[in-house]
Amino acid sequence: MKKGILFFLCFCLPISTVFAETASQTPLEALQAGYQSFNPDISVIIDTFYHGDNSHDGLNHLFEEMTGFGHAHDHDDHGHHHGVDEGFNLRHLEIMFSAAVDPWFRATAIAAVDIHGAEIEEAHIETTGLPMGLRVKAGKFFSDFGYINAVHAHEWDFVDQPLVFQLLTGDHGINDLGVQVSWLPSLPVYCLFGVELFQGNNEILFDYHGHGYLPEKSGPRAVIGWVKFAPNLPGFHGLLLGGAYGTGTHQEQHGPSGDYNHWLDGDTSFWSVNAVYKYNAPKPYGQGNLTIQGEYFRRKKDITLVRHYNRPELEGNPRIEEQDGYYIQFVYGFKPRWRAGLRWEQVGLTNSITRPTGVKSDYDSSYRLGAMVDFTPSEFSRLRLQANLGQYETDHGSEDVFELKMQWMISMGAHGAHTF
Amino acid sequence: MTDTVKNRNHLRHQRNHLSGGLSGMFSGAVRWISLIGILAAVVIVVPGNPVLASQIRIVTTTSDLADIAGAIAGDLADITALSQGNEDPHFLQAKPGFIIQARNADLWISIGMELEIGWEPAVIHGSRNPRIQVGRPGYLDVSANVLKRGVPTRRVTRDMGDVHPSGNPHYWLDPWNGRVIAETVADRLSMLFPDRKDVFHSNLKRFKDELDRRMFGAALTESVDGDILWKHQFSGTLDAFIQEQSLPAAGGWYADTAPLRGVKMVTFHKSWEYFTGRFGMSVVAELEPKPGVPPTAAHLSHVENLMSANDLTIILQEPFYSRRAADRVARNTGATVVVAAGSVSGTPEATDYFSIFDLLIAALTNQQ
Repeated sequence: MKKGILFFLCFCLPISTVFAETASQTPLEALQAGYQSFNPDISVIIDTFYHGDNSHDGLNHLFEEMTGFGHAHDHDDHGHHHGVDEGFNLRHLEIMFSAAVDPWFRATAIAAVDIHGAEIEEAHIETTGLPMGLRVKAGKFFSDFGYINAVHAHEWDFVDQPLVFQLLTGDHGINDLGVQVSWLPSLPVYCLFGVELFQGNNEILFDYHGHGYLPEKSGPRAVIGWVKFAPNLPGFHGLLLGGAYGTGTHQEQHGPSGDYNHWLDGDTSFWSVNAVYKYNAPKPYGQGNLTIQGEYFRRKKDITLVRHYNRPELEGNPRIEEQDGYYIQFVYGFKPRWRAGLRWEQVGLTNSITRPTGVKSDYDSSYRLGAMVDFTPSEFSRLRLQANLGQYETDHGSEDVFELKMQWMISMGAHGAHTF
Repeated sequence: MTDTVKNRNHLRHQRNHLSGGLSGMFSGAVRWISLIGILAAVVIVVPGNPVLASQIRIVTTTSDLADIAGAIAGDLADITALSQGNEDPHFLQAKPGFIIQARNADLWISIGMELEIGWEPAVIHGSRNPRIQVGRPGYLDVSANVLKRGVPTRRVTRDMGDVHPSGNPHYWLDPWNGRVIAETVADRLSMLFPDRKDVFHSNLKRFKDELDRRMFGAALTESVDGDILWKHQFSGTLDAFIQEQSLPAAGGWYADTAPLRGVKMVTFHKSWEYFTGRFGMSVVAELEPKPGVPPTAAHLSHVENLMSANDLTIILQEPFYSRRAADRVARNTGATVVVAAGSVSGTPEATDYFSIFDLLIAALTNQQ
């Protein structure tokens, strides 16, 4: 973390001296000189919020106890746990650098610093000069499957991630080391195809241990393919539809309090569909804008019991878990700079586990309703109030939870462009 | 009526029946063949597209740029404007449709000075079109040579609102800058397509002649070269020059705005200072307390006091801003609200770049 700050200061100090020294030049010259000296666009995002809820043992605990979605296994070799604390939270300090590297490549590096330390949120290189609408991207990046997965937390329309993705892809979504090839063919309508090969590290979807009883598998261990389609709607209307499929190695180790006694190896596959409609009102300050967005995601975990200390007779039998979920949300600019949003979510429409014993159990689904109001004083700041009301099916019965969140976030530095 | 339908159905049924055996046997194969045919057509069309389209494909961020580029490229180009005059160009969404327009463009033209900063980079990046990436010849920011106003003279911070560090980007509202834009576009097109250079330059001459005629009147431009007239207009010596040389009287916008010279007004956004500056008017205050910040009650009261104290009677704004603030101020001060297109297609009458000035001057003159 100290290194990160040092790195940041090294970049910023020269910039501030440029501004100070050139005060006697014409401002335009000064700025041009400044822009030339700091080639990468730099921006810093601070995203802080208050969270309160009336759950028995905290929301993080509740999510882990949700029937069919819980991940009771221990994450012994994975990063720190995110989740929210009751009270004040600093989601993270995001430090972003991006620039055209040369006439052929563009790069983005995003460091996320929080009170637990620093991590690389994204560090990727992509091509800018390939013909025929092709692009290759490599490094660590968010998968472009679906819609919200690649959207950074500070650009979400609600404080929290949709439940289905929080439960099935984890706090970070699918963000991994890998390579992506995407193709925008020369068609009269927008049709974008992408294939991604990932190392296969996702705490929930593609968990990998590769030692002990779990076989070692070299990467890439996950592959995702997606397509996005946008019919040409006239004027202020925009629509984007998408579909995705992915599959990858998944391993689990379980046991009482970190003392593993059984191991499973296999894979998880998923498919998803999504749609986003936006009405971009001609009025300024976002008034009259409407966004309707929804995604459905379904995973199938197909893993085999490779070793069980207590039940060796079950070894070789499969464990199959099928879970799904969706969210749909509406956000409307009801006044200049003010938006209101409503989100409805359900997880576990399909929620079944077939255990190595051959017993198949079906579980109930959980629901959550969220409402938010936010105020955007400028392109660079936003304040938000959000309330969630959820009914969650857990291993100990159903629990109703009310949540209240107040968020304040700002961005300093370069003005980012918004993708659709 | 029913009989006819019945007859027709009967006939169709008969025909189906006759061909039934044959088509039944082949329908599966036909379906597959046609599917393969469609796929093949797609594959053939995909790489063939650039060859098929002999026209130059130009995409512009605004309708004004499309109009001026159209005047220069004539029918050699197929031009698409991503925004229309009834939209606020600051707040556009990077729609996938825009990306598709940019995908095959030969030339991308933008206003620059950060006007399109919120969406242009996403469209250009999304297009994967190497020709129009920033810094390539196919990317043209026409602000380079225009006359700029509102360039900050001290260090800018975002405490000042949506201030553009390189100056006020609404520069197309000065007809001189329209002339500069046309020259810039003609030069770039000539560089990209040297074999059609002559066409672009003769179109440029025609555009400049027409603009000068609209600016200074036909009689004057027939006697003196436009460049000389502009030079005198810039230094404020045009009237003296006309008298000295016994030239025909000035007409056009220059003459039409004579009664407006010295007029002070209030505008909604800081978007009209190029127009008022060119024609000897001035803007005393904006309804926005800071650029990009919507009007507040306290600020409007301040504007009202300012207007009453200075006998200001005009509030000028674009059609896409709400009239509420302007109407309130007008009600309390007795001023008139003038809603005028700041861009081509901002109102149905604003059909081309020249008409913006025709309409604007007519609307303001009517208020005097």
